[in-house]
Amino acid sequence: MATTTAPAPEALPLEVEELSVAYGAHRAVDRLSFIVRPGEIYGLLGSNGAGKTSTIKSIVGLVRPVGGRLRVFGLDVLERALDTKRLTGYVPETSLLYDALTPREFLEFVASVRHLDAAVASERCRSYVTAFRLEAEFEEPILTLSNGTRQKVLLMAALLHQPPLLVLDEPLNSLDPRSVRIMKDLLAGYVAGGRRGILFSTHTMEIAEQLCHRVGILDRGVLRGEGTLAALREKVKSGDATLEDLFLQLTEEGEGVRAAVESLRSPG
Amino acid sequence: MSWKEAGRLSRVAFTELSLQAIYAFRQGNASPPGPPEELVPRARRRVLQSKAIVSFVLALLALATAFALRLSETRPVFFPPEVPSAAFQAGIVTGLLSLDVAFLWWTGMQVLPTFLSAGILPVLEPLPIDERTLNQTAGLLYFRLFDLPALTVLIGTPLLVGIAAGPWVALALVPGVIAVVAFSLALSLLTGRFFVRRVQGSRGGGGRAVVRWAYLVLWLVPAFAMFAFVILAPAFFTALGDLALTGPSLASHLLIASFPFTLAALPAIAASGPAGLGLDGIGWAVFLAAIAVYLGLAAWAVLWVVGSVRAIGLVPPRVTAPGPAARFDLHPRNAIVSVLEKDLRIASRTPGFAFLILLPILDAVAIGLLTYVRAPGGSAAFDIALAAVMTAALLATFFGPAFFAIEVFAYSYGRTLPLPDRSLLLGKVLLVLLMFLIAGGTVLGITLTRVFDPVLFTAFILAELPAIVAASLLELGILFWRARAKGLPIPNLYAGAWFSILVSVPGLIVAGLPLAAFEIVRAGGVTLGLSAMAVAALGELGVVAPLTLGGESA
Repeated sequence: MATTTAPAPEALPLEVEELSVAYGAHRAVDRLSFIVRPGEIYGLLGSNGAGKTSTIKSIVGLVRPVGGRLRVFGLDVLERALDTKRLTGYVPETSLLYDALTPREFLEFVASVRHLDAAVASERCRSYVTAFRLEAEFEEPILTLSNGTRQKVLLMAALLHQPPLLVLDEPLNSLDPRSVRIMKDLLAGYVAGGRRGILFSTHTMEIAEQLCHRVGILDRGVLRGEGTLAALREKVKSGDATLEDLFLQLTEEGEGVRAAVESLRSPG
Repeated sequence: MSWKEAGRLSRVAFTELSLQAIYAFRQGNASPPGPPEELVPRARRRVLQSKAIVSFVLALLALATAFALRLSETRPVFFPPEVPSAAFQAGIVTGLLSLDVAFLWWTGMQVLPTFLSAGILPVLEPLPIDERTLNQTAGLLYFRLFDLPALTVLIGTPLLVGIAAGPWVALALVPGVIAVVAFSLALSLLTGRFFVRRVQGSRGGGGRAVVRWAYLVLWLVPAFAMFAFVILAPAFFTALGDLALTGPSLASHLLIASFPFTLAALPAIAASGPAGLGLDGIGWAVFLAAIAVYLGLAAWAVLWVVGSVRAIGLVPPRVTAPGPAARFDLHPRNAIVSVLEKDLRIASRTPGFAFLILLPILDAVAIGLLTYVRAPGGSAAFDIALAAVMTAALLATFFGPAFFAIEVFAYSYGRTLPLPDRSLLLGKVLLVLLMFLIAGGTVLGITLTRVFDPVLFTAFILAELPAIVAASLLELGILFWRARAKGLPIPNLYAGAWFSILVSVPGLIVAGLPLAAFEIVRAGGVTLGLSAMAVAALGELGVVAPLTLGGESA
């Protein structure tokens, strides 16, 4: 058995149009628009509380937006929720899993829900277990695993059905350097065919700079800048600025950072 | 640092524990609707309510004992004439102390997993607090789990018994209630450690799953003990009467040395003297030695609890070194079956859910064993089949909605998977159905040698089966409907416990209607009764299934 939902050939992996998310009176995301093109890794950058996770949760159906439209390969996320979930692989920001299951039991459940063929699922599972060196933890309850190992299990679950859209919320946070390198190479290769897309949220500028084709800089729910690194440098008229510099300039936090450092140097 | 500081710290820690016990945030549960500042007071209130309910039951038991002791003095007609007063009173108090141990132990086993998994004690460890205060804080925090029920046993029980039977009887009961509380707290902690090491942290694999379920049956011993005591009470009093007639013997010496009879005999002697308890010279020596041993053990249990809570609270779930798995194959199944499989796997490491699954089955075991205690009469097969089907149906239906709470685990991740509501719903219904079938099959298996009528039993189970499916579909369908209407994640409904009870009411009615139909027409013969039952059950399923499975949210 295989998933029955196939992505439309001409559709974009992800379209976010005028998205607004609110929690009571607080507007976490305000009329946000961006797209993820085929063959692209799109980085969503922002400080804590900028609205990255709210945006991602809307895309995977965990938060109901108060405005705007979300389409995965042309399918509306709210109207065709099951179909868009079939096309998406998701790694949440916090590794909250079924603690009472082992990685095998968890992956078996995910493979069942995604109607994967046993041979295909097993083959992919073996590859990822070897790559992430999960042999020793494969039969241990998730409750007993370290944060990094739990993150690897989540990455495996997201990749198991080889979805055409990957939505990754701070996916490399707890990983060891070896696994980070593997993931970076894996993700770069994942979109190389030109059909798949990846939305990647992070506040680690170095990773975004190495991995993302384009980035969107989110600040207090609003998109402050978007484009390739070169385009953003041009926007702030700084030819050799790092992504970190660009981020601070676009979010107008440069002065705030300097003041905070000063106050920490001379406390009291 | 001092006990005062430990008291302050344990109060703060208990607030966090209450919050986790009610809302399970550390298991990924989302915050329920409403103002966030209401969460802590609401959690505190709900924990207090739970303690109050257990305390109320314990107070009722004490009241019933006081009443029975009072009646034993006036010797009403239902007083068993062959049992001397002291033996009868000791028997009554033995029942009270046994049930108190069972209730407190059961309470401990329900709350211990939260206590250990909430990770409260590890938070305190890095703080600059001395070892003694940390130990005291851990001990006090543990006691807070039991405070109201334990105080009901320690103070309320002697008080109520004292009002009914006099101050000396109340005073003689004090060693018994102290031992009960000490042993219950120690047993809870011991089984809690056992759970963390052997159940929660158990590796995957079929063989280990069997072992885990076996441990979980052990976990249910206290709950089962309450049920068994009620069933076995008449036989116990008959045995007491027989022992009193034969006078001092090895059996009477063994009885007087057994917990809790030893300590239950103290108030009986205070009320009626030692006659009838088989206390000759050896008997008195055994009796006094047993009192000393049990009180010594109780003191040791208290010291062990205070000294061990912290160490046990910090123990990691895994105690064996991980070994590489032998194979990495996955075996995906049908989505509905995978929901059932996931729930069973989670329940095998989560006593709260295992309890829900095992209780109807153990209840079936008790009904089956009852036929060996009481001689079956002419219509035994018929009555047993009806009782078995009725209790299995009602228990399975009552606990059915609670299985949705399993979705509280990783609920946010689960909602991102393309799992249709219908598959989730049918997976849960399958679990309820499985419980019903195992419970029914268990009674059939146990009673085959007593009343051999497999056709009648099977007919009863099959006639009720559609009603069980209909009842589960209705209950779970209401939960889905309410979740959609309110825009809530389903597990959050359980933050309001009243709704989980309320939703069982229509389910119980649907499960009970075919049984009522049977009762109405049973005078016309079993075949007619069973036919009416099957027609009613199928009719219910015909109405409920299209209503609950008709629509599907994408």
